[in-house]
Amino acid sequence: MKFLRHLAAAALVVAVVVVAGLTWGHFAGGLPPGLGRPIDVPVHQGEITLSPGARPGHGRPPPGVHIIGPGPGGGENLGLDSMFQSVNLPVLRNTVEIEAAVTAGAVLLEIAHRRWRRARRATRPRPLGPGRSPRQARHRAR
Amino acid sequence: MASTPADAASVPGARPGRRRRIAARTRLDFWFDTVLLLGYTLAYSYGFTGIGIHEWLGLGLGLALLFHLTLHWDWVIRTTRKLASPRGHDKLIWLVNLALLGGMTLCVLSGILISRVALPYLGIELTQIGPFWSTLHTTTAEITLGLVPVHVALRWRWLVRIGRRLLARRPR
Repeated sequence: MKFLRHLAAAALVVAVVVVAGLTWGHFAGGLPPGLGRPIDVPVHQGEITLSPGARPGHGRPPPGVHIIGPGPGGGENLGLDSMFQSVNLPVLRNTVEIEAAVTAGAVLLEIAHRRWRRARRATRPRPLGPGRSPRQARHRAR
Repeated sequence: MASTPADAASVPGARPGRRRRIAARTRLDFWFDTVLLLGYTLAYSYGFTGIGIHEWLGLGLGLALLFHLTLHWDWVIRTTRKLASPRGHDKLIWLVNLALLGGMTLCVLSGILISRVALPYLGIELTQIGPFWSTLHTTTAEITLGLVPVHVALRWRWLVRIGRRLLARRPR
């Protein structure tokens, strides 16, 4: 029962974000500067991977280049043959490297921040003794 | 991962000196979050998986994220109530998680709207989907790629502690 209540609350929050996104999309007829520009097409090992929603330009691709995405004849080339092929491993490696680098940076920052806080606390004078508030100290003094 | 997990709750009556057992909920949190991270990494690597797996994995991730948020709803409520207190660490985690919620939701939403495999397979054809959604999809995906590792890193102590205990070899 508690799980269902939490699920409903979480779904409500997600629904609010979805509605906000749809409203933004609805009123974004004139796109903000920077949005709506042509999508960059990355090339990996002689293979052009179109981002979702992107379309290839006119003309035939250069020899040896394989396009993953909508085919030139209107038919969909879903790139199903690219799944888990070793030639595409650099894409996965790139993602893992970015994640590892950001994680390492954030962990180092967290450690540095914690050390700095501890050092600051250690240098602060503690005239009242541990666990005693100013109010308790006044009370004892009476 | 967002919550202060039901950390290493011991089983009542466990013998002293022996390794305490890890609560089932903590194990669920750890393994589910690990699978989520792996799934997200795969889904982001669009050029590796191809569009079919990318879309189905993205849909699955959307549902999994809703489950993740549900599992940690207690933390959301507790931390939101404590936002006025001066402690900074939880506030930072709360802000990162809020940004991640927005980014992930918009990424999955835009992904659904520009879907070319999963939605047509389910018999849903969306027309007049402009470039706004594909650009939003790319932008939010890049934002989440920055936020997911930070989300993980902010709980690295818990992950290392539980990971060590879960992966440690049990003496026979």
